[in-house]
Amino acid sequence: MSTLLEVRDLSTHFHTQDGVVKAVEHASYEVDRGEVIALVGESGCGKTVSALSIVRLIQDPPGKIVSGQVNFNGTDLLKLPRQAIRKVRGSQIAMIFQEPMTSLNPVLTIRRQMTEALEIHRGMKSQEALDEAIRLLERVGITEAERRVKDYPHKFSGGMRQRVMMAMAISCQPQLIIADEPTTAVDVTIQAQLLEMLHNITKDLDTAIILITHNLGIVARYARRVYVMYAGRIVETGSAEDVYHDPRHPYTVGLIASVPRLDEPRTARLVPIEGQPPDLIAPPLGCPFHPRCSRVQNQCKEGAYELIEVAPGHYTSCRIAGKD
Amino acid sequence: MAIAAESARPHHTLWGDAFVRLRRNRLAVVGAVLIISLALASIIVPLISPYEFDEQNLNAVLEGPSHAHLLGTDGLGRDVFTRLFYGARTSLAVGIFVQLIVLAIGLPIGALAGYAGGRVDNLLMRFVDIVYAFPDLLLIILIRAILGGSIYMIFLAIGLVAWVNVARLVRGQILTLKQRDFATAARAMGGSGPYITVRHLLPNSLGPIIVLITFGIPRAIFAEAALSYIGIGVKPPTPSWGTMIYNGYQNIFGAPYLVVFPAIAVGILMLAFTFLGDGLRDALDPRERR
Amino acid sequence: MLKYSLNRLFWIVLVLIAVAFITFSLMHLVPGGPWDREKELAPQVIENLNKKYGLDKPYFVQFGSYMWNVLQGDLGVSYSYQDRGVTEILLDGLPKTATLGGVAFLIAILIGVPLGMAAALKQNSIIDYIAVFFSTLFASIPGFVLGIFLVLIFSVSLHLLPTGGWGTIDHVIMPAFALAALPAAYIARVTRASMLDVLRQDYIRTARAKGLAEYVVLVRHTLRNALIPVMTVIGPELAFLITGSVVIESVFSIPGTGRLFVQGIAQRDYGLIMGTTLFYAFIIAVANYVVDVLYGVVDPRIRYD
Repeated sequence: MSTLLEVRDLSTHFHTQDGVVKAVEHASYEVDRGEVIALVGESGCGKTVSALSIVRLIQDPPGKIVSGQVNFNGTDLLKLPRQAIRKVRGSQIAMIFQEPMTSLNPVLTIRRQMTEALEIHRGMKSQEALDEAIRLLERVGITEAERRVKDYPHKFSGGMRQRVMMAMAISCQPQLIIADEPTTAVDVTIQAQLLEMLHNITKDLDTAIILITHNLGIVARYARRVYVMYAGRIVETGSAEDVYHDPRHPYTVGLIASVPRLDEPRTARLVPIEGQPPDLIAPPLGCPFHPRCSRVQNQCKEGAYELIEVAPGHYTSCRIAGKD
Repeated sequence: MAIAAESARPHHTLWGDAFVRLRRNRLAVVGAVLIISLALASIIVPLISPYEFDEQNLNAVLEGPSHAHLLGTDGLGRDVFTRLFYGARTSLAVGIFVQLIVLAIGLPIGALAGYAGGRVDNLLMRFVDIVYAFPDLLLIILIRAILGGSIYMIFLAIGLVAWVNVARLVRGQILTLKQRDFATAARAMGGSGPYITVRHLLPNSLGPIIVLITFGIPRAIFAEAALSYIGIGVKPPTPSWGTMIYNGYQNIFGAPYLVVFPAIAVGILMLAFTFLGDGLRDALDPRERR
Repeated sequence: MLKYSLNRLFWIVLVLIAVAFITFSLMHLVPGGPWDREKELAPQVIENLNKKYGLDKPYFVQFGSYMWNVLQGDLGVSYSYQDRGVTEILLDGLPKTATLGGVAFLIAILIGVPLGMAAALKQNSIIDYIAVFFSTLFASIPGFVLGIFLVLIFSVSLHLLPTGGWGTIDHVIMPAFALAALPAAYIARVTRASMLDVLRQDYIRTARAKGLAEYVVLVRHTLRNALIPVMTVIGPELAFLITGSVVIESVFSIPGTGRLFVQGIAQRDYGLIMGTTLFYAFIIAVANYVVDVLYGVVDPRIRYD
C-alpha cells in the first residue's frame, strides 16, 4: 500500500489575547491510498485543527502552522504557493464539515454550490455540471434530485444537507476525504445511513478517509487505523484492533472504559476520566495527561514527547505503558 | 443590579463585568468624562461667569473673543461663553427628558405587545407602523406647532415621535426571551404574565434598551437643535445651541465664531454620547463575556 | 414572492391613509386658524374664505373630499399662495429636493459600502481604524452642523463654493455631502460589521475548502450575504435623507420641498403642510417598499413560497 498523505511533526498555534494556544503539537499521522483512518479524542484536543492545517484552512491571524510537513503524494502542501493549494482543495482533498445547518451558503442554490467545484476542478460547462450534480445527489440518496437541485439550503433537513456535503465532497473524485465529525450533528437514526453510504461510495472510488470523531463506535466499524489525540498530541496509534483490545496509554484506556457496554451488568458504574481537559496555553509539563492519570509517576512530569513502539505498528507516548 | 466596585479579579455579574469592560474602552471613558464635565460646567456657570445669559449690552455688539468676553458677543451684545454653557443645560435636558418620555411610552407598549401577543400585539404594532411611517422631523414639527414652544412641550413633541424605536426593541426582546427556559420555569412556578414580564423579562432586556437610550440622546439633541435652527425651537430667551446657530448664521461672514462655537459644542456632545453608546453596547454584549 | 409584495403593498396603502388622517387631525389642533395674518381680517371675510375652501363642512366630509382629491393627484390648495395648488407648488420644489436626495444617496452608498468592505477585509489595519474613526465621527455630527462647517471652510474662508442657492453643480456639492455624511458613516459601519460576521461563517470555510479562488469566495459567497443586513438599513437611511433634507435646504437656501414645508408651518398654511407631509410619507413608504421587495430578491429565505 502506498502512502498517500504523511503528516509529520505538525504544530499549529493560535495567538490570542490570553496567550498562545498550542492547539496541535508535533502531531504525525499517515494515510494510505484507499485507507480509512480515525482521529479520535475529546472536543478541543486538536483533531479538527490538525485536519484544517492539512489544507491550510487555518485563519492567519490568529492561527499559524509553526512547524512540520504535510506530504501529499510526495509534495509538501505547507510549502506550496496559494494558487497551488487551491487546486488541491476540493479536487484532490475534500472536506466534510460537522455542522450541516451552517456549512452551506443560504443565498445560493444547491446547484450553484455543487457546480462551482465541478466547473473549476473538472472544467465542466454549465449543462454538463448540472447533469453531474443531479447524478451525484441521486448517488447520495436524495430523491427527486432534478427538482431539488434548484432549491436553497433552508429547504433541506440536517441529514439531507450532510448528504449534499458528501455529494460535494466526492464530486471531483478526490483521493482523500477529511470528514470532521460528519454525523455528530445529525439524528442517530440517520448517522448509520450516512456513514454506510460514505463508506460504500469511497470504496468504489478508492478514496481514503480521515475520519475525525469522538464516537468510538464509528471508529471500530470503519477505521483500519486509529490515532488518539490529547492536548494536541498523538498519544497512541495502532490498528483498530490493537488500540481497542490492548490500549496502552492511560487516556485511551480511560476513553474505552468510559463507554457503557451492553455485555456488562446493568449495575456496573460508568467510569469517567477524572479531572479537566488541560489549558492549551500553559499545558502541563512532560506528559499533558499526567494530572489526571491514575498511574502517574515522577518521570511523567518532565521530558520530551516521543512515540514508543509497544508492538509492531502500535505506538504510544506513555513511557510507563511503553515499558510493560 | 448595582454596579460592582473596582476589584482585581474579573467580575461575574453582568453589570460588574460590563462596567469593567466599559472602563477599559478609552473612547467610551472620554465620552463619559466629556458629558459629565459639560453637565457640571453648565450647572456652575452662574458662578464662573459674570454675565447673565440674556444680558444685553448694545455697546459691545458682535465682538470677537476677547478678555472680557471669552468667546465673544452676539448681535445683541450677549456673552457667547455664558450662553453656550447655559445652552448645554438645554441640550442635556432635552436628551435626558426625551428619553424618559420615550421609556415611559415605549417600554409599556413594547412589553405589552411582546408579552400579550396575538391581537393586542398586532394592534399595537400597526399603530407603531403608522407613527413610524411619518417622516419623524415633520411629525415633531407638527406636534410642536400644536403644543407650543415651551421647553417641556418640545420634550414632549420629540418624545412622542421617538418612542417607536424603543417599543419595537422591547417587543422584540420580550418575544425572544419569552421562549427561554427561565421564563417557562417562572410560569410553571405560578407567575402571572405581568409579573414575569416585569420581574424576569424586562431586567434581561435592559442591555440593548440602555444602548438604544444612549444613542437616542444625541438624536433628541439633534432634533431640538434642528427645530431651533429652522426657527421653531425653544422660545427665547432660553438659550439653545440650535438657536444660537440660527441667529449666528446671518453673520457668518463677519462673525463666524458665533456659529462655530455652538456647532462644535453640538458635535462634541453628540460624539461623546455616541462613544459612550458604542462602549456600552460592546460592554453589554453577552457574546464578549468571559 | 408575489404574495409577499402584494401583502406589503396593501399594508402601505392603509398606513398612508392613517397618516393622512392623523396629519389632518393634527393640523386642526394647531392653535390659530389658516387665516391669521398680521392684520386681522373681518369676520365676514373669514366666513367667506371658509366657505370657499370648504372649511365650514363637517370634519369627516372635509377629510373624505380631500382624500378623494389626493387619489386624483390633487393635493389641495395652499392657503398662502392663493393662485397655486399644493401639487403645483410641490412639483416646483421636487426636482431640487430629488436631485439633492439622489446625489446624497449615491454618495452615501458609493462611499459607505466600499469603505465598510475594505475595513472588514483588512481588519485591524490602518484602513480599518481610519474607517471606524471617520464613520463614528460623521455618524455623530448632525448634517446641518456639518453643512455649516463646510460653508465656513469652502465659502467663507476659501471662497470656492457658494453659500447657498441652486442652479449649478457647485450648489449641490456641499449640501449633498452634508446630507450624505451620516448615512454614509452608518452604512459603512453596518457593512463592516456584516462582512466580518459573514466571513466568520462556516459556509465561507466550506467555499474555501472547495478550492475556490479568493475573489470568488468574496464576491459570490460573501457579498450577497453581507449586503442583506445593509439593505435593511438602507430603507431607514433613505427616509432619513428625505427628512434630513428639510434642514439642509434651510441651511443652503435651496428652494426645495423641505423649505416649503418649513414656510408652511410658519404661515400656518394647512393645505401646504398637509400636502407636504403626505407627500413625504408617500415617498418614504415607496422607498421602504422597494427596499423590502429587493430584500426578498436578495435573501431567498424570507420569500413566502
